[in-house]
Amino acid sequence: MKTFVKPFILLILIGGFFRAYAQETPFRLYGELYFDNRVRLENGQWSWNENRLDLQLDKKFADKAKFHSQVWLRSFGYPFLYSAEQLFDKDETSPYNLDIREAYVELYGVFTKNLDMKIGRQRIAWGTGDKLNPTDNVNSYDLEDIWDFGRHLGSDAIRLKYYYKDFFLEADYILYFRPASLPRGDWAAGLFNPMELPPPLYIVSMEDSLAMPALNLKENSSYALKAGGLAGGFNFSLSYLYGRDGLPVNYFNRIMPVDTNGGVYLESKLFFPRQQVIGADLAGAVGSVGVWAEASLFVPEDEIILTNDLTGIGMPVVDSVILENKPWFKYLAGFDYTFRGGHYVNFQYLHGFVHERGQENLNDYFVINYEKYLFNDKLKVRPLTAAFVVSDWKELTENYALVYMPFLTFIPNDNTEISIGVRLIAGEGDDVFAQYKDKDEFVFSLKYRF
Amino acid sequence: MKKKTLFAAIILSIYSFGALAQGASEILKKTDDVMYAPKDQKASVKIILKDKKGNMQEREASYIQIGSEMRLFKFTAPASQAGIAFLSLPGDVMYLYLPAYEKERRIASHVKNQTFAGTDFSYDDMESKPLGDEYNPELISQDAETWKLKLIPKDPAGSDYGRIEITVGKDNNYLRSADYFDRGGQKIKQMVNTTIEKVDGYWTATEIEMTDLAKGHSTVFKTLGLSFDNNLTAEDFTVREMKK
Repeated sequence: MKTFVKPFILLILIGGFFRAYAQETPFRLYGELYFDNRVRLENGQWSWNENRLDLQLDKKFADKAKFHSQVWLRSFGYPFLYSAEQLFDKDETSPYNLDIREAYVELYGVFTKNLDMKIGRQRIAWGTGDKLNPTDNVNSYDLEDIWDFGRHLGSDAIRLKYYYKDFFLEADYILYFRPASLPRGDWAAGLFNPMELPPPLYIVSMEDSLAMPALNLKENSSYALKAGGLAGGFNFSLSYLYGRDGLPVNYFNRIMPVDTNGGVYLESKLFFPRQQVIGADLAGAVGSVGVWAEASLFVPEDEIILTNDLTGIGMPVVDSVILENKPWFKYLAGFDYTFRGGHYVNFQYLHGFVHERGQENLNDYFVINYEKYLFNDKLKVRPLTAAFVVSDWKELTENYALVYMPFLTFIPNDNTEISIGVRLIAGEGDDVFAQYKDKDEFVFSLKYRF
Repeated sequence: MKKKTLFAAIILSIYSFGALAQGASEILKKTDDVMYAPKDQKASVKIILKDKKGNMQEREASYIQIGSEMRLFKFTAPASQAGIAFLSLPGDVMYLYLPAYEKERRIASHVKNQTFAGTDFSYDDMESKPLGDEYNPELISQDAETWKLKLIPKDPAGSDYGRIEITVGKDNNYLRSADYFDRGGQKIKQMVNTTIEKVDGYWTATEIEMTDLAKGHSTVFKTLGLSFDNNLTAEDFTVREMKK
């Protein structure tokens, strides 16, 4: 009886709230159709096929509340068919996926006119950088498409934001931990260093297990605070997050022989370490040049030791520290400027990409973008979009990556964008992009907003 | 005697020039006073973009404004633009909100000479600061109905225009049209207030057409549901309001 009564009372309260603000606007349904196809230049193989229907629904209740949801319905990838039996199963022949990106209610002026509350699955976007944000760590990364920098998963959270004049104070409580989504297909390999085995050993098969945090408040929840405002013409903020790294860390490996030729079976265990992140950002202008900067200090909770159990192949158990209990510092600085004639240039320097941990493991990324609209904004050209990565300045020629991404976007009408471009990658060393050097690709995408 | 005549002519011309300049300043001040008389304004607008082939695109937006330095502009249509908002605050503090990124982006004044959201207005044109703050006026000519003034930027380096020539109605001191010239003296844009009417006791342009002469492209702003003196406050011009 009690379990029935509680949700019933809650429903009445929520219903009462919305009836109280009956000056409502109609539901607004909007979104986009997005087709993204990519083919590898080296061998002509398709490497990406995404057909996305992005549906968003908004409803405002006067100036007191807003409901928002965003759902992706996607036909993604290619069917992996090896048996005629699969042809009877449409889930196999037409793989699809439903992703609730956001679904929240935002209440304005709760308790006091200056306090807003947002409850539900939401994106808590922090940082002043352009798609590269070392301070944006409340939501776990959505790295499914490694080229869609800055994409994060929504978190089931409660956010309170108090405004006073040009300043704000924000408190976020993230109810459940959501691990990051990892890149699809062979893009994932770049994020994780492969396990090196002494010859003649080689991995025949492997299995891993994830140690997910316990489903309780202490282990599964996170919280964050942020304060900021406008002073001296600059927007600034300071932030603190007590959360978990959304990318798993390998803490245990066991190797067992499976044949006499050196073939082994690998068993791995991974977990999501707790960490604190102290951040700061600012944005403003120097003269007429737009400038921004971000910095985050990542403080691990513990040292992380990787245990390699090699007893199965007649060797001892080897422990090695893979992450010292020392903070590391990621930062970004950037500027943009529009020259006469509409020539837009944006430059960013980043120290430490999303997956990098430990001060000595952070690489340098220089990213430049030049774009110009032509023919009454019907054509956008990006002839110089590039990134240069250095993973070791002392041996630069062996530790670098260069990614060149020229794109052309045709805009036949306000709602449609058709883009073509290439990603050309060169590099050496173990940086994530250097490992993609054989993955040059041609990209074709279409976006229609409705 | 000749010297005296020449001296008198010079004195007279200096005096006349001074009188004209003073007249021009007064005209411009009255124009600014009329155009910025309301304490605040609130409106929705229909924006029609026309290219030289006659193809048209429509956009819809709403805006609120206090004086000349606080303005919040939100696009409501088409779908590709809906939700995009632009907030302009004193001290060249400007924010752009793109719903797809779910956060505001601070933008610097380098955008001022760029076109505003595909229209023929630049961000600078949209700021609608009193002309007297940014330009020194000269009276070029006049007829029974209008004055024609030449406006020279006070800060030539900071302006996209070499000069602006404006026509002001004598009946209401309201701006009727403006011709924009580049630094080389070439006329590049033309703005015409095609409909000027009295709303809530204030003269206002409810239809404005800006033409980019080089591109042969024009933008018509049709103001709908305009209201003045709505008791707007600085709290209505915040990032919080921009994102709602």
